[in-house]
Amino acid sequence: MTDVTQASAAPKRRKAKDDPTSRNKARPRTAAEWILMVLAVLGALVIIFPVLLLLMNAFKSPTDYANSSPLDFPEALDFTGIQTFWEQQNFPRALWNSIFISTLVAVFAVILSVLNSFAIGIGRVKGRTWIVLLFLMANLVPQEMLFDPLFQLYDDLGLLSNPWSVIITFTVIQAAFGTYLLSSLLGTFPKEILEAAAMDGATRWRSLRSVIVPVIKPTLSVLMVFFFIWTWNEFLLPLAFLNSPDSLTVPLILEQLNGERQTDTTTLVAGTLISIIPTIIFFLIFQRTLTRGITAGAVK
Amino acid sequence: MNTRIRYAGALGAAGALIALTACSSDGGDESAAPADGDWSGETLNVLHYEGEDSAMGIAWDKAIEIFEEETGATVNLETTAFEDLRTSAEQLFDSGDAPDVSEYNKGNATAGQLAAIGVIQNLDDAYEEYGWSEKLSDSVATTAQYNEDGVMGSGSYYGVPNYGEFVFLYYNKDMFEEAGLAEPTTLADVEAAAAAFAEQGVTPFAESAQEYPLGQLWYQLALSKADRDFVDAYQLYTEPVDWTGEQISYATETIADWVESGYLDTAITGMTAEDAGLQFINGETPMFYSGSWWYGRFLSDITGFELGTTNWPDTTLTPGSGGNMWVVPVESQQPELARIFIDVTMRPEVQALLGESGGLPVAANTEDITDEDAQQLIGLFNEVNERDGLAFYPDWPTPDFYGDLNAVLQGLVNGDYNAAEAQAQLEEYYESYVADLR
Repeated sequence: MTDVTQASAAPKRRKAKDDPTSRNKARPRTAAEWILMVLAVLGALVIIFPVLLLLMNAFKSPTDYANSSPLDFPEALDFTGIQTFWEQQNFPRALWNSIFISTLVAVFAVILSVLNSFAIGIGRVKGRTWIVLLFLMANLVPQEMLFDPLFQLYDDLGLLSNPWSVIITFTVIQAAFGTYLLSSLLGTFPKEILEAAAMDGATRWRSLRSVIVPVIKPTLSVLMVFFFIWTWNEFLLPLAFLNSPDSLTVPLILEQLNGERQTDTTTLVAGTLISIIPTIIFFLIFQRTLTRGITAGAVK
Repeated sequence: MNTRIRYAGALGAAGALIALTACSSDGGDESAAPADGDWSGETLNVLHYEGEDSAMGIAWDKAIEIFEEETGATVNLETTAFEDLRTSAEQLFDSGDAPDVSEYNKGNATAGQLAAIGVIQNLDDAYEEYGWSEKLSDSVATTAQYNEDGVMGSGSYYGVPNYGEFVFLYYNKDMFEEAGLAEPTTLADVEAAAAAFAEQGVTPFAESAQEYPLGQLWYQLALSKADRDFVDAYQLYTEPVDWTGEQISYATETIADWVESGYLDTAITGMTAEDAGLQFINGETPMFYSGSWWYGRFLSDITGFELGTTNWPDTTLTPGSGGNMWVVPVESQQPELARIFIDVTMRPEVQALLGESGGLPVAANTEDITDEDAQQLIGLFNEVNERDGLAFYPDWPTPDFYGDLNAVLQGLVNGDYNAAEAQAQLEEYYESYVADLR
C-alpha cells in the first residue's frame, strides 16, 4: 500500500511543478520540491496509519489488547482473533456474495447508464433536464425511506435473502448517477463524428456500439470501478434484504461481530484486516484503469 | 398450511388489540400438534444474537440439543447482531424470512413497539399452559408484559426472559488493600475510599459519559433515595416524576460534587464504556460501577489484581432487569414448536448451565450451580431479587432518552449546566414524550 501511494503521489506532484519551470532533468531538487516530497510522504503515512493499527492489533490476544494501548506492539504473535473470525463467520461465502453482487451491479448499471444517456444526451429528448433530475432522485432519496417499501416488495416477490434483491436495487441507484454523469458527457459529444457515421450508413445502434462507446470507454471503466466499490461498501439495504447467514456480504459479517454491550475487539480487528485484503487486490488490478480514467476526464 | 399461518398472524395482531378486554382468548388451537408429540421432519428456525461462547450461547445450544431429542424436529439456528435485528425486526418478523422464534430486545421502545403493532405474538395462553409466570420474579416479568400502547408492566405477555442483568460495583481489591481500605459496605465507605484515592492522585471511578455508565450511576444514586413508587412513576408513568425532588436532586448534585472533588474525571465526557472498562482492567482506576455483562470479561482479562464485587451499598433499588426475551414473530411457521422450545430453555438444567457459564439465570435452583465465580455473581443477583430491587434502566422511559441523558450529564460534567439546570433540561426531554402517555 505504501509503495503504491507514494509512487503515484510523488511523481505526479513533481511533474506538475517541473514541466512549466525548467526542462533540465539533471538539476538538483529545490527546497520547495523537498517540502512537497515530505508532505506527500506524510500524507501517505496518514493514509497508512489505520492499516498499521489493524496490523498491530489483529495479532494480539484479547488479554494483551485489554492491557495495552492500541499503539503498542503485541507481546507475542497471537492468532486467536483471526481464528475466531474464520471459525465463526463464513468469510469465503460472504466474499463470493460481495463479488457476485458488486460485479453484476457494476456491469448492469453501466449498460443501463449508457442506454439512458444515449437517449438523453445524444437523442436530446424533450424535457431532458427534468428526466435527468428524476433519475437523480434515486440517489437523492435517503435509503431509510426505501427500506420499508422495498422490503415489502421483495417479500411479496420472494426475493428476500436472495442476492438479486440487492442487485436490482443498486443497479437502479447506481445507474441513476451514471445516467446523470454520462448524459452531460454525451451532451457535448462532437456532432461531426456522429454525422460522419450516419453518412457511412451506420444505424443508431451501430453508432452507439461502434462509435460512442469506444470513445467514452475510459470513462465507462472508471464508472464501473466506482459502482463496484460503492456497491461493495453498501450497508443498510443489504442489511434489510439479506437475512440468512449464507446470503450476507462482507460488511454485514463484520457488523455481526459487534455485540450489544461488548465487542470482541481483536476478532473485529482481525476480521477487518482479512476483509480489506480483497479490496487491496482489487485496487492493484484496477489501479491503471482508475488513473487512466481520471486523466481522461481531466484532459477534456 | 398457508391459511393456517395467516390465521395465526391475524390472531396475533388481533390479540394485541383486544388483549386487555379478552384476556382469555384462546390461541392454542390454530396449530395442529401431532397427537403423539412426534415432530420429526419439521424444522424450527431459531434466531438469536448472543456470542457462541457467552453464557446464553452455551445454554441455548444445550436447549437445542434437548429439544431436538425430545420432539424429533430439527433446529436451524441462525445468529445475527443486536444492532442488525434492532434495525430490521419490524419488517423481518412480518415477512417470509421471519424466524419461528427469536431473541429480541426488551423495553417500551423495542419489544413494546412490536407488540403494539402486532408483529410479535401474544403469549398469554402459553404462559398459562407452561406456567412460566410462576418461574419469573415480578420485576423480571415486568419487561415481558406490554399493554396496548406498548408500555411495559401490564397487559399481556409477549416474550419470555431467559436471563437477568443488573448493575453493581466492581473494585480492585489490591488497590484497596494498598490504600489500607476495607471492602466498601456503606455509601460512606465508598465516598471515603474515593476521597483517599483522589488524595493520592488516582481517579477513583472508571466512568464514561459518552455511553451508558454515567447514566446508570446517576440513576443508582437517585434510586438509593427512592422506593418502588418512584420507579413506577419514572418507568411506568403511573404519576408525574418530581424532577426537583429529593431523589433526582441528590443524584445530580452528587455527580456535580464528585466531579468537583476529582472523584470523576472531566475527561469521561469523551470516553466510551469500552474505554472505562479497559481503564479498570488495566488497574488505572480502583472502582467501576457497571453491569453484570462485564463479569465474564473481567474474570478472563484481569491478570494484574484480584477482582472484588459488591452491590451498591445503602439502597434497596438497583438498575437491572430481565434480559432480552424470546419472542414469537407473527409470521412464525411453527408457533407451537416455538413455545415448546422456549419452555425447554426455561428448564432447570438449561438454566443451571446458563448460570454455570457466567450468566444470570431467572429460573435456576441455586444449589445446582457449583462454579465459585458464578456463585458469587448469582449471590449478588439473588440479594437484589430478594428485596425485589430491579429498577430497570434510566434511558427506558422515552425512545430518545438515552441520548438526552448522556448529553445532559456530559454538560453537567464539563460545567455547561449546574445541577438545577441539568434537572430542568432532563425534565423537558422526559415530559415532551411522557406527558401524552400519562
